[in-house]
Amino acid sequence: MRRDIAARAPANSASRIRGAIAGILGNAVLGIFSLTCVFPIVWMFYSSLKTQTQFALSTLSLPVRPILDNYVAAIQSHMGLYLLNTLRNTAISVALIVLLSFVTGYFLSRFRFRGRNLLYAYFLIGMLIPIHALLVPMFIQLKTAGLLDSWYTLLLPYVGFGLPIGIVLAESYVGGIPRELEEAAAIDGSGFSRTLFTIIMPLAAPVLAAIAIIQSFAVWNEFPFALILITSDQWITAPVGLSTVFRSEHFTDYPGLMAGIMTTMVPVLIVYFLFSNRIMKGMTAGAVKG
Amino acid sequence: MKNRALRPNATTILLYLLPALLLYSYIVTFPILGALRLSFFRWMGGARMEFDGLGNYATLLKDGIFWQSFLNNVTITLVCLVGQIGIAVVFALMLGSRLIRSKGFFRTTAFFPATLSAVVVGFVWTFIFDYRFGMMNTVLRLFGLDWLTKAWLDDPSTIVLFVSVPIVWQYIGFYMVIILSAVSSIDPGVLESAEIDGATSVQKAFRVTLPMIMDTLAVAVMLCISGNMKIFDSIYVMTNGGPGNSSMVVAMYVYKTSFIDSDYGYGGTVSIGILLLSLALILLSRRLIGGRRERGR
Repeated sequence: MRRDIAARAPANSASRIRGAIAGILGNAVLGIFSLTCVFPIVWMFYSSLKTQTQFALSTLSLPVRPILDNYVAAIQSHMGLYLLNTLRNTAISVALIVLLSFVTGYFLSRFRFRGRNLLYAYFLIGMLIPIHALLVPMFIQLKTAGLLDSWYTLLLPYVGFGLPIGIVLAESYVGGIPRELEEAAAIDGSGFSRTLFTIIMPLAAPVLAAIAIIQSFAVWNEFPFALILITSDQWITAPVGLSTVFRSEHFTDYPGLMAGIMTTMVPVLIVYFLFSNRIMKGMTAGAVKG
Repeated sequence: MKNRALRPNATTILLYLLPALLLYSYIVTFPILGALRLSFFRWMGGARMEFDGLGNYATLLKDGIFWQSFLNNVTITLVCLVGQIGIAVVFALMLGSRLIRSKGFFRTTAFFPATLSAVVVGFVWTFIFDYRFGMMNTVLRLFGLDWLTKAWLDDPSTIVLFVSVPIVWQYIGFYMVIILSAVSSIDPGVLESAEIDGATSVQKAFRVTLPMIMDTLAVAVMLCISGNMKIFDSIYVMTNGGPGNSSMVVAMYVYKTSFIDSDYGYGGTVSIGILLLSLALILLSRRLIGGRRERGR
């Protein structure tokens, strides 16, 4: 056996060179792709530190004397307010989605009541509905009900459309938690609701975290509902503010526009590069499960 | 007492299920019914709302812009299937090689665009394709290729391709991570024994790895198809459906008919059209992929 390997060694030097070349090429391809994923954002960042004239003179060079004026201007033209609105929508929606998904998923997983399968299918269908088909009727429905253009308006579609994937994930995870835990808790005298929230819910933390991650990004970045259901400047979210109000104010001022874009991205950037592994796992949880 | 702590009565179950059920019905089911009702009326948002029977549907069937938009959606979907999933598979297989370094770094940076909002992605690529200051033309000029520079987003004949680029770019990493997790769940023993039998890395990829991740690829294809009916944000930012209607997609079209032209009745009809077409696409792809999967087993 050993002699066999030694005999093949001379022939291997040619293939080793081929291997080395393949390695260099492979690393180069992946390296260049990595660069295209990050460089546009890096370019936007350092360009946002330039004046308009500096930018026009040389679009790719680093700023000679970095300035923060564009950021001051961005905050002054309401980007701060839009960010705050987005932050509030995200926090409340995600909390509600996690709670409702957990409770609903738990009941669908643990109990075989009449209509259980029908109910599960009913929630599942929501994942197939293209939200753009509901923009018009949703607008009219909320307008008739007097629910348009308020701080809570966007929470309704965000939570409603966040439920299906959350329920599916929670249901399948709870199925893997042993039932003996509830039995032991009941013997110890814990009531139903107490067991549900203080024993089972903490055990479901991994899946609840995945749901929270998926929905945080979804709500933070959501655009069409925020575009049509909100009209007053006071409640506009960051993506909509950026592409409507802020854009028209900075139409030809690219560095200014870039500063606005960067402000909406800072929280995402920080959170992503701190917790990238958990976020990748969470965001792909639905697909990997399916 | 103990029994109730384990098996709550029907009222308790109902009370716990009710909040999600009510909200979901109000947000998802009611609007579908609303769109259906709307689709039979002529209504410009005022007091006059006339029943029009199937009039709007007759208009929809002959509406060139609507079908052009749908065709654009299909084209973008095909570009994405090849671009996103194709490239993602290649990268995932490359990452399986021992020759590749700093895999974790690559995974993190490649996935990064998937966390950005499509609005930001739209802006980024508007800047890249910009005629005067865009990175694309700047780089071309740098290499003396001035004759290749152009206003990338102004040419109706190629616009669909160029608005697809950001969408492809944004999700390559997302699909790569999904495929990687399937690849990593393959028993390493299988690959080792293939290696001992003298399989090259290309043979290992095509004969062992790919057949073993077919289920995940099927899920990725489904996600790609159902996700592409939702394209709206980046096109809103990049071209707003233009020049003319050349980069219009169905979601953009329903927005324009209803909220720019205030034709709510017809907007409802377009909504129902989108709903039916996207369900048909999903069912079709499920049948195609599902059929092949069963035969494979």
